[in-house]
Amino acid sequence: MTATANIRVALNNITKRFARVVANDDVSLSIKAGEIHALLGENGAGKSTLMQILYGLYQADEGSIVVDGKAQRFRDPSDAIACGIGMVHQEFMLVQPMSVVENVVLGLKERASGVLNLQAAAARLQALSDKHGLAIDPWAKVQHLPIGVQQRVEILKLLYRDAQVLILDEPTAVLTPQEKAGLFATLKSLCAEGRSVVIVTHKLYEIMAIAHHVSVMRGGKMVDSVDIKDTSERDLARRMVGRDVVLRVEKTPCQPGKTVLQVESIAVRDASGQQKIWRVSLNVAAGEILGIAGVEGNGQSELAEALLNLRELEAGRILLNGEDISDDSPATRRSKGISFIPADRRGVGSVTDLSITDNAMLGRQHTFTRAGGWLLDRQRINQHARDIIARFAVRTPDADFEAGKLSGGNLQKLILGREVASNPSVLIVEQPTRGLDVGAIESVWQGLMAARDRGCAILMISAELEEIINLSDRIAVMYSGQIAGEMAAVDATPERLGELMAGAHLKKSGGNHEEAA
Amino acid sequence: MKKLLERRLAPAESTGALVLTSFCGILAAFIIAGLLFIPFGGNPLSAYGFLFDAAFGSLRSFGLSLVQSTPLMLIALATIVVWRAGLGYIGFEGCFLLGAAAASWIALSGTPQGFPWAIPALLYWPLVLIAAFLAGAIWAGWVGALRVKFGGNDVLISLMANYVALFIVQYLVSGPMRAPGDLPQTPRLPVESWLPFVMNGMRAHWGIAIALVATVFVFWLMRATPAGFEIKIAGLNPRAARYSGVDVNRRQMGAVLLGGGLAALAGLCAVLGVQHRLMEGISGGVGFIGVVVALLARLNPLLVIPTAILYGGLEVGGSAMQRQTGLPTSVVLILQSLVVLLILAGDLLRYYRINLPGGRQSRSPLAEEQS
Repeated sequence: MTATANIRVALNNITKRFARVVANDDVSLSIKAGEIHALLGENGAGKSTLMQILYGLYQADEGSIVVDGKAQRFRDPSDAIACGIGMVHQEFMLVQPMSVVENVVLGLKERASGVLNLQAAAARLQALSDKHGLAIDPWAKVQHLPIGVQQRVEILKLLYRDAQVLILDEPTAVLTPQEKAGLFATLKSLCAEGRSVVIVTHKLYEIMAIAHHVSVMRGGKMVDSVDIKDTSERDLARRMVGRDVVLRVEKTPCQPGKTVLQVESIAVRDASGQQKIWRVSLNVAAGEILGIAGVEGNGQSELAEALLNLRELEAGRILLNGEDISDDSPATRRSKGISFIPADRRGVGSVTDLSITDNAMLGRQHTFTRAGGWLLDRQRINQHARDIIARFAVRTPDADFEAGKLSGGNLQKLILGREVASNPSVLIVEQPTRGLDVGAIESVWQGLMAARDRGCAILMISAELEEIINLSDRIAVMYSGQIAGEMAAVDATPERLGELMAGAHLKKSGGNHEEAA
Repeated sequence: MKKLLERRLAPAESTGALVLTSFCGILAAFIIAGLLFIPFGGNPLSAYGFLFDAAFGSLRSFGLSLVQSTPLMLIALATIVVWRAGLGYIGFEGCFLLGAAAASWIALSGTPQGFPWAIPALLYWPLVLIAAFLAGAIWAGWVGALRVKFGGNDVLISLMANYVALFIVQYLVSGPMRAPGDLPQTPRLPVESWLPFVMNGMRAHWGIAIALVATVFVFWLMRATPAGFEIKIAGLNPRAARYSGVDVNRRQMGAVLLGGGLAALAGLCAVLGVQHRLMEGISGGVGFIGVVVALLARLNPLLVIPTAILYGGLEVGGSAMQRQTGLPTSVVLILQSLVVLLILAGDLLRYYRINLPGGRQSRSPLAEEQS
């Protein structure tokens, strides 16, 4: 598709300051009619702020917004909507107990009669959904819909208001691969109609897959704006971080000891009864890192949860040092030397309302005791917390600081420090560096390598291929609940892993290069 | 230009700020309620004089306030334990009633209305405490089990269970435990089964000691023991609790049982310390006022003591004031409600900072500039 020169929305020299922080510094961006425009940048690069200015949630301190050739001033989102600009937020703005059609008409002015005609609205919604292939039941309650369908409702909401510019903030973060494919098809059909789509993301392969034009932000400034055909993933990555992404860790040769963790053909179902893992067998030896690669949602989280018995095994067994621990509770498994760094560090890995000190003893509240286990030994706990803060350079005013107020990187360092401090024989790590900045990634990687060199068996689940390839000694790829392949890290290439992640050994055709990041 | 009143990004959390805002709330409540006295011909100042004199003016009146506050403390502690574990249980009224019934039953041992066999004096106190505690624990326990095991709505079930408990006590006092006579009530409990008075001439009984011991115990449990820590994280974040090896169901059940037991001890104090017989309406809504006290104390066990004494004093002093001045009873109720309302509303104040003219100038950059 050729992007016409017709510019629909232009943001000119936008500057936005929050107190002393300059979130957007003289940023310009123009969006053409009928294009998918990707806005790329690391966390905190200012892309969300820019989009919120375009949507009228914030007002720019300097600069102007021009829509269809006319300068506009958005005081709040309703002004933006009136100009045909709509936004799908990362967290959906839907009223859960209400039906789809009620959510769609919510906030719209009624016709002169003032009577709410839901039937007519539903008919129009149905027509829209048929036209764009966004299958939906207008009368379904939103709370019963899966995340992917809720996103569809959000998009339909914008189409119902006849938005010409659709802003999507991290639209794929919560979607399964299938839902992702559906979303991309929808977006393409929308811009074929002449609408413009802006997607805010930091996933490079998605941009390469669907965008026509990409603008890169870094540190509040617009650093580049290029057509997709003139760039590559590597090029984009370099523009995004301002240097080649060659995060490397000092990796000593792996000296695997005896096998510590054995997983013997386990099967696991998720909360809704779906088969998430089917006949998975794995071995991890002391002193090695086994990387589990795979597109998210292929059973990796369930595997991690099953290893700590946060999720029940349906079949199979788990052995630790040759001893069957399949029936042990999480507490028993912890005491036998299994540690776990979960992906959801605020929801699972920490209690955000408690202090750093309290979080430092989470999971070991029965070790830091005196008086025969009846009393907490506050002195030792405080010392322990201070040790973690010092060793992993957790940036915090003091140890009594509320853990939830730490940045993601510092919280992750705290959790990592806590989980390796007990010298576990097995460490399970899930998405260790998700959403962290480069500095924090490096320290987390170093922490993991140090644990490996001490002889800890590490099972690392990650969706980032770079991380998998850099850190692992062996790599297993999960695809739809099974191990699609296993190889030594030296034999692994992104292409080979990408094929396995797309299900190469199951589907003969294989090779979905969109996901070979 | 700096505004005189500036909104903070996070509320001020210091003890000083808490005390100050609470005090402002109480003061405002007294002023507003005082204005209400005037149309009824009451002089607010002298009325409040009566109130404080009756509540805290002498050892005797302070004793009365203590008597009033004892069950409030125990119920508030029960609320803290149960709510900290993440439940919304509010069936303390029921626990109170059944605790009172169990205590009366043991106290009447050896009579036709009580425990069939006479209990030796030495065994009486341990037995009566255990019986009351168990009654409350079981009463709260079945509701807790429905919530913890089956995901039932504990708020609703416990609320309804209160009525069931009410009817059970009604049945007991009009049936098996009824004293000969017209009124549906038990016989007067034998004097040796009463909670002794702390001092001659003072109405305060040793129930206050039970409440104080319970306060220290709850404070110690939540702060210094692994069990309390596990209860806290089970309430704050069940997923993180499970992850860190906490048996969430067990901790929640434990908290409910303890909470039910503590609430039942409040019933024991009322029946053995004040009424000296079991009858209908013995609870008088104390199971709900105790929850209010816990909220006012911000679920902090140590703050429960002053809060409960203040509230108990307000009840004692308020009714004395009402008798002395002839103000309508509803005025006293309004005063109490205003105190609760304005202390809780005082939290709003902690979100603001007052910029006095000529004060320090260097703080503004962190505040958001956009309104």
